[in-house]
Amino acid sequence: MAGQIKDKDAYQRLNYLYQAAHCVLSQNPDNVELARFYCSTQRTIARRLVLRQDPSVKRTVCKKCCSLLIPGVSATTRQRRKKGKIRFTVMRCLSCGHTKKLLNNPDYCLWADRPEAQLEQPPKLPETTNILSTQSFTCERAQPVDQCVLCPGKPRTVEGEAISQRGVDVS
Amino acid sequence: STESLVQATIPFEMGKIVGLQSQSRSQAETSTQVFLKSSIRNFRGADATSPLSYKAVMLEYSRPKKEKVKRRSKGSRMNAAQKRRMKLFTIRPEHQRYELFLPLHHLWRQYITDVCSGLKPTSSPQFLQQKLLKADLHGAVLSVVRSRCPSYVGTTGILVQEFKHVFKIITKENKVKVIPKRNSVFSLEMGGFTSFIYGSRFEQRASERSAKKFKVRGTIDL
Ligand SMILES: [Zn+2]
Repeated sequence: MAGQIKDKDAYQRLNYLYQAAHCVLSQNPDNVELARFYCSTQRTIARRLVLRQDPSVKRTVCKKCCSLLIPGVSATTRQRRKKGKIRFTVMRCLSCGHTKKLLNNPDYCLWADRPEAQLEQPPKLPETTNILSTQSFTCERAQPVDQCVLCPGKPRTVEGEAISQRGVDVS
Repeated sequence: STESLVQATIPFEMGKIVGLQSQSRSQAETSTQVFLKSSIRNFRGADATSPLSYKAVMLEYSRPKKEKVKRRSKGSRMNAAQKRRMKLFTIRPEHQRYELFLPLHHLWRQYITDVCSGLKPTSSPQFLQQKLLKADLHGAVLSVVRSRCPSYVGTTGILVQEFKHVFKIITKENKVKVIPKRNSVFSLEMGGFTSFIYGSRFEQRASERSAKKFKVRGTIDL
């Protein structure tokens, strides 16, 4: 049933705004301002509700000024090559000049299409961190605890070390 | 021979595959103008054809001389001052024509019927109100019913932009009216239902509304 989808209203709204931007541009390709307004509204909504937008949508909106990028109308599309064989598709926004470079790779698989993305399980944190985050008040001036536990690359402070040991003890 | 190649018509079958639609003469005119404007450097206004008649034109958009910009501007996002300076969202007067926004209104109608799951005459007003609170209003036909300032009353038009404190409405007389939300009541007509929007309770940005929870409070004084 369609009602089961979470945030269905918001997705419909995003969809409408994206279509409205297209509609405005198709009426007069010069009216970039309004299309830009709709796209930026769309982006703020998605950011506020933490909704993922499809890559095909993200690739047609300028990151800098939020214009809708339509090749030949509000953007230019060119094929460029770096020294070696690597080829890029370069999209250039005609209103602000910002460029988007996309690697030409026919075998590229979007994250959403990969099998491991379908599992819908965020990587499980070790149980100690859960305890830690509730117990982090034990030490006054430790850094944010999950920072030093989760990123082993970062040098741990002495306090962080103490806490993590205590956490292990508790578990 | 190159010229004949450039001016050749697209074969019918290929056009069908790509899904080409022929445009009306005026539409084709405007899109050509816009294309030339965006792709010729130093384009000067309406006399687009005069340089075309006597000299070769570079169609490639060439960037202006690369200037050594400060490192700071490397970030891709703009700040608010830059946005204001570039006038990112102001609609230019030549686009302020009512008929340009009619397709937007039709699109909005389809959208709102979809959101309200069919917009049947039997659906309950509460359900519609709940949906409408979270829906987008750009493209709707709004009219001012009541207002502290009597000169706003009666203004009707398509909502073009919604800001935090203000609705921008384009009227049939091709005028963009800026109407403050505070102390005004708007009416919204959709598929036989009329809803009233109390502007004083609506003072948020268009994007904030979909995340916010509305409280039911009875008293609205105007
Ligand atoms: Zn841009």
